[in-house]
Amino acid sequence: MTMAPERVLGVAASGPGDARGHRSDRRSAGRRAGRRRAAAAGLVFLLPALVIFGYFAWWPIAQSVVLSFQQTNLVSAPHWVGLRNFAQLFADPLLATAALNTLWFTGLSLLVGLPVPLVCAVLVSELRRGGALARTLAYLPVVIPPVVAVLLWKAFYAPGESGVINSLLGLFALGPYPWLQSPVLAMPSLVVVATWSGAGTAVLIYLAALAGVSRELYEAAELDGASVRRRVWHVTLPQMRGVILILLLLQIIGALQVFTEPYVMTDGGPANATVTVLLMIYRYAFLFGNYGVATALSVLLALVLVVVSAVYLRLTRSWSTS
Amino acid sequence: MKARARRVLGAAAAMALMSGAAACGTSPGADPDTVVITVMGMPAATNTAALELFQAQVAEFEELNPGIRVVGSDVPWDAKTFAARLAGGSAPTLLRVPLTEPPSLIERGQVADIAAEVAELDSFEELNPRVMQFLTDDDAVYGVPEKSYAFGLVYNRSIFTQAGLDPDVPPTTWEEVRAYAAQITERTGRVGFGEITTNNSGGWHLTGYTYTHGGAMIEQAGDGHWVAAFNDRPALDVLKWWQQLRWEDDSMGDNVLGKQEDMLAEFVAGNVGMWVSAPPDLYPNYVAAGGDPADYGAGPMPQAGADATLAGATVLMVNANASAAERDAAVRWIDFRALRPNFDPEIAEETAAAAAADGLPVGVPVLPIYSQEKYEEIQAAIADHVNVPVENFAPYVASLETFEYVPEPVVASQEIYAALDPLVQAVLTDPAADPAELLAEAEGRVNTILEQNQS
Repeated sequence: MTMAPERVLGVAASGPGDARGHRSDRRSAGRRAGRRRAAAAGLVFLLPALVIFGYFAWWPIAQSVVLSFQQTNLVSAPHWVGLRNFAQLFADPLLATAALNTLWFTGLSLLVGLPVPLVCAVLVSELRRGGALARTLAYLPVVIPPVVAVLLWKAFYAPGESGVINSLLGLFALGPYPWLQSPVLAMPSLVVVATWSGAGTAVLIYLAALAGVSRELYEAAELDGASVRRRVWHVTLPQMRGVILILLLLQIIGALQVFTEPYVMTDGGPANATVTVLLMIYRYAFLFGNYGVATALSVLLALVLVVVSAVYLRLTRSWSTS
Repeated sequence: MKARARRVLGAAAAMALMSGAAACGTSPGADPDTVVITVMGMPAATNTAALELFQAQVAEFEELNPGIRVVGSDVPWDAKTFAARLAGGSAPTLLRVPLTEPPSLIERGQVADIAAEVAELDSFEELNPRVMQFLTDDDAVYGVPEKSYAFGLVYNRSIFTQAGLDPDVPPTTWEEVRAYAAQITERTGRVGFGEITTNNSGGWHLTGYTYTHGGAMIEQAGDGHWVAAFNDRPALDVLKWWQQLRWEDDSMGDNVLGKQEDMLAEFVAGNVGMWVSAPPDLYPNYVAAGGDPADYGAGPMPQAGADATLAGATVLMVNANASAAERDAAVRWIDFRALRPNFDPEIAEETAAAAAADGLPVGVPVLPIYSQEKYEEIQAAIADHVNVPVENFAPYVASLETFEYVPEPVVASQEIYAALDPLVQAVLTDPAADPAELLAEAEGRVNTILEQNQS
């Protein structure tokens, strides 16, 4: 680590009774004062952003934590209830179901949602022509409003022989399957929708990362007789591991907060098969008007996400450096 | 330098405060003597005839009540956004809500006591106590009914004819409904009996069906606390009946995971033979969605020995943040728009004439919000303007005189319905579901909800 120049000067000229040392001290003190002035000026320029960010982002977060220990009807002043909201939450048998469902969704999402965009990106990057069209097609689902996309998928998943997917499967003498009407198939069906709608962004990011991989590494691997599979395994993936690990973390956080798909497509059904933690928060707050319990669950979810992120970053610290 | 930094910081803080203060100022141009009330119930812009009638009524009301300005809102009741809008100061002054909402709104203190204002109305004392019992608490009055309804069977007369059934003789028992449904599916390939199970509608229907078997959803224990009461024969019979239609007869179709709006769309499209709803309440939406009035049939709520049906209402309440002047203005508007046409024959005739001229449904048979005698007096007054095929409602209307009206659960109704949705979904999506086991599980969950709501 290199030391700041003024600090080096200060140490070198600090002999007692040395006139040059006093001058140097004064210079050093002046520089420190200058730095403080610069910092104060920077703080002033930063202040509007801090005020806005604090008011609209941090303050609501702090309020949420406070609200999780209160009961309110949003009309009269809230009153403290201690840990009662958390006790009520843990007495709700649906909490365990929702937590398991959310983990199940997250697991399935990673299983499908991690490799699919990566494979797509590698394939698109290998295209000699039509790359722009392929990138556009890959990103297209992202620009469709989520609720519209989800409602479209609801039509695709229509049960019986008239459903779009069942009609196609019928050509191969398969089905019809109940998709969203089945407690077993409902969650995997939602994962397909979530992957379809979210993969485009990951594909673009992977493509950008792929563009940064040196062609010389591939040429060297080719000269060494490496197959396509070995080139991907030994060149592409190691070069992209930083991006892959960050996207994986974002995907875990996003999947643990899944809401739109179960809310619009199944309302948590059938028989609670797709109830998620966020759907529970939504119901507590906006269906039952119990904001205290809703924020208590929000706080718990936030804590889980923080812990998951911290553990993940610690575990992957050594792998993510290229 | 420190002083300069402080001055800069001070200026920045002052700017931030000033901008905040500016945002909190009153809107320019507002007449301080005018009371402005926002009222729910304005028809949507797409329903031009109804909207024109509403606007004409607003103009007449403002002329009769100088100093009051009425701003209509076509946003329907949404429990999900109401509390936030109330806290943010953008909730309407006058709320129009289903009868399931008042208990929780009153309990949370989100609606105003309007006892002093409604006491001034001539017709208040004559309002039907069957509905008013849910809107009063000792001397406090929290709302008045706009309309009242009861569960019944809604059916497609054209599909009945195609299936070889008499559209003037709808089924009256659940066993008959099962036989009719099987025949409809067999002869027409359509859904014989449709069911809704999401957004609390599954629990709502389980409640209504259980009443027809003589059951109850909750009951008061010896200590006065409410406990679950549905884990017995009536609810079990309902669940088994659903299983028979779904898995033995295959007359319910494949899509059993929808809410009322989804079922209405299917019904309007002619894909569903029968389902349970509030026939008078549903009819205007059915017509507005393009349904053929001639195909609309309303039958009695099918029974299994109890001769009872779930009753509901649309009620008008005033937001808790309303000032005294706003409460007074809101109650005046309630009287003008909702009560007088049901109480004063002359006004009823005028309103019906205007509605009929605009092509709106007039004469849909409903449960009276005043006495039966008053209802008949009003019906006689508007007889010349009736444009609804009233004869299609005859089986439903005849049943209203014989059934007992059972209210929805008085504690945590929406939470109970939400807890029962998965139960209904389970029997309709899983052929191996055990109704008795599901009922026992749901009983535990509902008891927890009731305990939490009464603690």
